[in-house]
Amino acid sequence: MKILLQQALVADLQSPHNNSTKDILIENGQITSIADKIDAKDATVIAEKGLVVSPGWVDSFAHFGDPGLEYRETIESGSAAATAGGYTHVLVLPNTAPVTSNKTQVEYIVQKGTATTTTVLPLGSVTKNIEGKDLAEMYDMQNSGAIAFTDGIYPVQSPGLLLKALQYVKAFDGVIVQVPVDDSLGKHGLMHEGIVSTRLGLPGIPSLAEELIVKRDIELLRYTESKLHFSGISTAKGLELIKAAKLDGLQVTCSVTPFHLTFCDEDLQSYDTNLKVTPVLRSRQDMLALREGVLNGDVDCIASHHIPHNQDNKVCEFEYAKPGMIGLQTAYAVVQTAIPSLPADKVAALFSTNVRRIFDLQTSSVTEGSVADLTFFLPAEKSVLTRANNRSKSINSPFFDKPLTGKVAGTVHKGNVNQLN
Amino acid sequence: MKLSTQHLLGIKDLTKEDVQLILTTAQQFKDVLQRPVKKVPSLRDVTIVNLFFENSTRTRMSFELAERRLSADVLNFTASASSVAKGETLLDTVNNILSMKVDMVVMRHSASGAPHFLAKHIPAAIVNAGDGINEHPTQALLDAFSMQEKLGKLEGLKVAIIGDIMHSRVALSNIYLLKKMGAEITIAGPPTLIPKYIKEAFDVRVEYDVKKALQWCDVANVLRIQLERQNQPLFSSLREYNLAYGINRKLLDSLNKEIVIMHPGPINRGVELDSDVADGPHSIILNQVENGVAVRMAALYLLANREN
Repeated sequence: MKILLQQALVADLQSPHNNSTKDILIENGQITSIADKIDAKDATVIAEKGLVVSPGWVDSFAHFGDPGLEYRETIESGSAAATAGGYTHVLVLPNTAPVTSNKTQVEYIVQKGTATTTTVLPLGSVTKNIEGKDLAEMYDMQNSGAIAFTDGIYPVQSPGLLLKALQYVKAFDGVIVQVPVDDSLGKHGLMHEGIVSTRLGLPGIPSLAEELIVKRDIELLRYTESKLHFSGISTAKGLELIKAAKLDGLQVTCSVTPFHLTFCDEDLQSYDTNLKVTPVLRSRQDMLALREGVLNGDVDCIASHHIPHNQDNKVCEFEYAKPGMIGLQTAYAVVQTAIPSLPADKVAALFSTNVRRIFDLQTSSVTEGSVADLTFFLPAEKSVLTRANNRSKSINSPFFDKPLTGKVAGTVHKGNVNQLN
Repeated sequence: MKLSTQHLLGIKDLTKEDVQLILTTAQQFKDVLQRPVKKVPSLRDVTIVNLFFENSTRTRMSFELAERRLSADVLNFTASASSVAKGETLLDTVNNILSMKVDMVVMRHSASGAPHFLAKHIPAAIVNAGDGINEHPTQALLDAFSMQEKLGKLEGLKVAIIGDIMHSRVALSNIYLLKKMGAEITIAGPPTLIPKYIKEAFDVRVEYDVKKALQWCDVANVLRIQLERQNQPLFSSLREYNLAYGINRKLLDSLNKEIVIMHPGPINRGVELDSDVADGPHSIILNQVENGVAVRMAALYLLANREN
């Protein structure tokens, strides 16, 4: 199959063609030619004004609930939402039922996740059944296709256990992923502790709950000399600590979510349960610092933290609502809307190349000879998530019917075009 | 005159004029309550449901009495005897009740924001009778009414709110109301029971020494230690709490000044208040209870929005 991309702006810092507008020919899943003008008969032509092409996007933190929680999302529906969001690969959380805690569970996801338009890859659990007690069989899981290890939405709390996990994965070059939340601080908290929580009469979770665990985990990393990735940093201080650790030469990286770049605690005035997320939405200053971090490179990548919930868990009292929102489909547009000045090659780094580097995934580049694993997008176009175009099984998003700047146009994955309109 | 709001979810949403209107109307109802016939026909044909998802004695009785004295039809619902135990959601419960043609809902709930959630989803007028640690607006209104009755004003009044601020919806509603009406506020109690950002959030003074707070104030509103709402250790023992923060007659006498003592009830005697204060001459606790009915009549009457 031949695909011809006409007059697309290349967004890829690794490519010699970065920031230039080119024709790109893809044959049998490979980029065979990049030139100012290419004529190719019988090729599927993709041409759109303002089209940008990037290495295929990868999400590093999504929850599909398959197996066990299929009423929220399945591998098929989650993958469809990911494709609609411009992703060619998505890493899914082990917080399923049963937990992705052994080879069998890993193989189930690998097998099912190959047949979909976005490849779904498993994250294995750090501890057996996410109980936070004993190490799971991470070596076996990695050999079976697990990309990295995390207890997902229930991060490892015991420092002793995390230290062992960090040491253990060194033998096979594994990566540990932590959501930075210390459960013992603000244990019964429902939102960021600050002036807004005090005025709203909602129990707070101090920023300290993130700062302490980031600080602690960095010290465990320093001791173990392993690899650690923080997913969903929410505070300015947390980001600063990670930046300093990087300067010390530690192998630490981090992501932020689109919603932490868009909302802050002030947006909870109406007790909107769609904005109940974990880590919680922090202060306006934190939100602005995270945006700055995305622009200046302190933030390595964007993670959707796509967490579907059925309506019974969202149309209820704020206290009883489950945390999380869906986000794969809107991730790019939400980020581009929050940071209008974000350049296209930076988008490519945040959504693709940095994620691939952190998790040691197959590289993709807009370069002749590279595997064609690509995402096309239109930074200046408007897009809107509607009930009609939503591909997730769940609807827990605050972005429904809100016009956003930036639109995903499609992907090329495994030689096939997934074109959106 | 009408209220600017359709529900009474919290003092936060009221204007100063709303508060004044409720207090003035409450005075009229208080006068009515002194007559031999205490019942007025104002809310005839209005059906009100009292939804109590949390235990309450005085608030529920006070609301029910207010409703009956306004001639409303009253329906009572308590969580223990309800379908909630069978796993029904709040929205289902309330929609079921509303399909029986109910006009107003008075609700107490353990989750902050529960009445706000309801207001978004159902057409009836909602009166918040206490939500989590957020607000208890009718309590703040009756507290203000009682202060005004006793001391003749709210503006410029120095009010100390003492005790478990962290778990108290009474504290938050009182702060909102007193700030709106121009009173000065000092928050006092153990640091573990005072929200960290309260000073910045409300521009109030914070004092850890109860004696200093008492020395400063005209009125001390002493709050109940909410043992049932604490899920982690916030002070060592009730005995020590009483030693450090409890108010007794000896302490009041040592101040050598006029002071008014209030408490929203129920009192933990020997913890935040000793009996010699609760039952003593400084206390207006029982006046608060009496005024509660008049204030709730006023709020319900105004929310029902009937001109006659």
